[in-house]
Amino acid sequence: MEAEAALGAGAPDATVALLRETTPFGEASGALLARIAAIARIARYGAGTRVYSPDDPADDLFVVISGRVEHVLDPEVGAREAVKRVARGGVFGWTGLLLGQTRRMATVTALEPTEVLRISTEELIRLLSSEPLEGEHVMERFVSMIQREFTVPTLLAKVRRLSGPLTEEMSKLSLTMYRMSLWLKSPRPYLMFIGFALFLGFWYLAVEVWKLPRFREMPGLTAVVKEWLSPNPTYGLSLYTEEYYQHIIVSIWRVAKAFLLATVLGVTFGLLLGWSRNFKEYVFPVFEMLRPIPILAWVPLAIVMFIATESAVVYLAFLASFFATALNTMLGVESIDESYIRAADCLGANRRQVFRHVIIPGALPFIFTGLQISIGVSWFSLVAAEMVSGQYGLGYVINTSYMMVRYPTIVIGMVTLGLVGYVTSALVRIAGDYMMEWRVRELALSER
Amino acid sequence: MSRGHIVIEDVVKVYDPEGAAVMAVDHCSLEIEAGEICMIVGPSGCGKTTLLNAIAGFHDITSGRITMDGEVLCSNEKPKSTPGPDRIVVFQNGALFPWKSNLENVIFGPVMQGKLERKEALEKGRAMMTDAGVSGVEHNYPGEVSSGMRRRVEIVRALMNDPKALLLDEPYRALDSLTKSVMHEALLEIYYKNKVTIFFITHDLEEAIFLGHRVAIMTTRPCKPKKVLNVDIPHPRDYSVLTSKRFRELIEETNDAVHEEALKAFQAGEKEG
Repeated sequence: MEAEAALGAGAPDATVALLRETTPFGEASGALLARIAAIARIARYGAGTRVYSPDDPADDLFVVISGRVEHVLDPEVGAREAVKRVARGGVFGWTGLLLGQTRRMATVTALEPTEVLRISTEELIRLLSSEPLEGEHVMERFVSMIQREFTVPTLLAKVRRLSGPLTEEMSKLSLTMYRMSLWLKSPRPYLMFIGFALFLGFWYLAVEVWKLPRFREMPGLTAVVKEWLSPNPTYGLSLYTEEYYQHIIVSIWRVAKAFLLATVLGVTFGLLLGWSRNFKEYVFPVFEMLRPIPILAWVPLAIVMFIATESAVVYLAFLASFFATALNTMLGVESIDESYIRAADCLGANRRQVFRHVIIPGALPFIFTGLQISIGVSWFSLVAAEMVSGQYGLGYVINTSYMMVRYPTIVIGMVTLGLVGYVTSALVRIAGDYMMEWRVRELALSER
Repeated sequence: MSRGHIVIEDVVKVYDPEGAAVMAVDHCSLEIEAGEICMIVGPSGCGKTTLLNAIAGFHDITSGRITMDGEVLCSNEKPKSTPGPDRIVVFQNGALFPWKSNLENVIFGPVMQGKLERKEALEKGRAMMTDAGVSGVEHNYPGEVSSGMRRRVEIVRALMNDPKALLLDEPYRALDSLTKSVMHEALLEIYYKNKVTIFFITHDLEEAIFLGHRVAIMTTRPCKPKKVLNVDIPHPRDYSVLTSKRFRELIEETNDAVHEEALKAFQAGEKEG
């Protein structure tokens, strides 16, 4: 009853159109679909014919062209609805894409004369691996289809990871970029804009229209924006003045120096604290006594210690960062499950290898939490230091504008700080995700 | 060939937290034949893990001696044995490194010891994973695969080192009963292919009788063998054993002994609480 035919010339267009109707391939590019169409074969089944049964080898993937089939999942799979009818554009026979599954998990029977496309799973995987970015996306869509349309539990619906030299060499950064472009296509960025619009709208109304008490004296939105965008700013600072960028660069440069120094010293120090009990016993009590001292309390000493104000400012920004990083790194080392260290001992790793392969990667999640905090407090203490003793920088701008009654410039300084601070902490987060792909994947799975 | 023949002689372990001595293991002697699956059964907290830690080298012993193939692991003179790839522990909650892919985990031992070049190790690792039925997840991280699969990968990681003995510390405790039954057969399958000595700690009597050549039922705190049962059901075994008459008889024979110890442990726990 089963007839198979290779696709004739001209048919690929129809196949591509069909693939576009399916969930997993719906968003793929025309070029990729054409390549998939090229490996597809057409098969026909008469009414009542069995397409496959459980424990048959899971070789091909099926897409229904016309007709209908009944898809009954094995009770062991634990689907919420075991029976499903699949019509045109429906995809079944995806078992071969699942992790560690090589056998069919369902019984499929044609309900009426049915025409299907058959695509070899292995060939499909190979093809998708050659286009890793799109391929990953197709696989992700398979996961959601298997879970939602076939109601297969999450645990089972884990698809194979595209592998092979290409994917391994493919930079993780390009994957991030690809995710970013998907994000732009989703509604999330637009919701974000609405949030900003509401905030700015409230500012405008409260200060300039309703003139609410407390808000009346504040610089209004229009005044700030006008000043910020003006080529000839009233108070001397706008997007068009060189001085504006000078302040930003000076502040960023100071934070960069402080943050890098704090990271190098803080991580090393924290690893030592966590790794060596002796070191901790000597040092930790002193560390814990110094840590709660607010940065502003260090200002006079910093000025005495460093004759140059520049070094004093960097030192203050460094200090707060250092404590945050060192403490989190130490907690990170201490959080590592003893079993990992024991396992490494069993497997014959020496002390240095344990440090390199267990302690450092194991502490990494905590280290990056520390760095997130660290970059934040670094900006915080930098601005405080710049307000007290500085020549340039955004904190200096805010403070002098206050003394010289240039209110819009204060707000310009604040907003700029917010933006620059946001970008730097986003960079730290991206670096963290880049270095801890395992964690990103684990969290993504638990979220689903 | 005697490989993985472990002799525990008169081992005592006293924990001494702040002067309040607690005897965890009391003059315990047990011989584990080379290539045997020896199951250690006792209620939770009875001191069986202490015994495993002594063999593995995670803890010292107070007195006694443990040897493997005639070589002294620990004794009165050297109370703590050195952990090494000849006896590998499979941990209760699993200890695959979550930051390494499954394949990287598998090749960890030989690469760290410098026994194999990375390339050779990768090849051997892939082959062994295929052999153990966990191919296809080489490039996944452990956190991405099911817990049953993780346990299998962990055993492959151990076997990569060609160990004399595997020390399993209730490895299937956290698994649901269905997965557990699959894991038992998988373990036996792996065992039939690589004859190693298996020292397996559990509190599940059925698991013990299904898997073991011998089952040692331990007394609770202090821990020592109360009864050693020879399981005369021939290997290779599969799941039909569970419904066999002999299996039921063996359970009946030992159930009282186990229950008595569990009760003791429970009452001791109540007293402490």
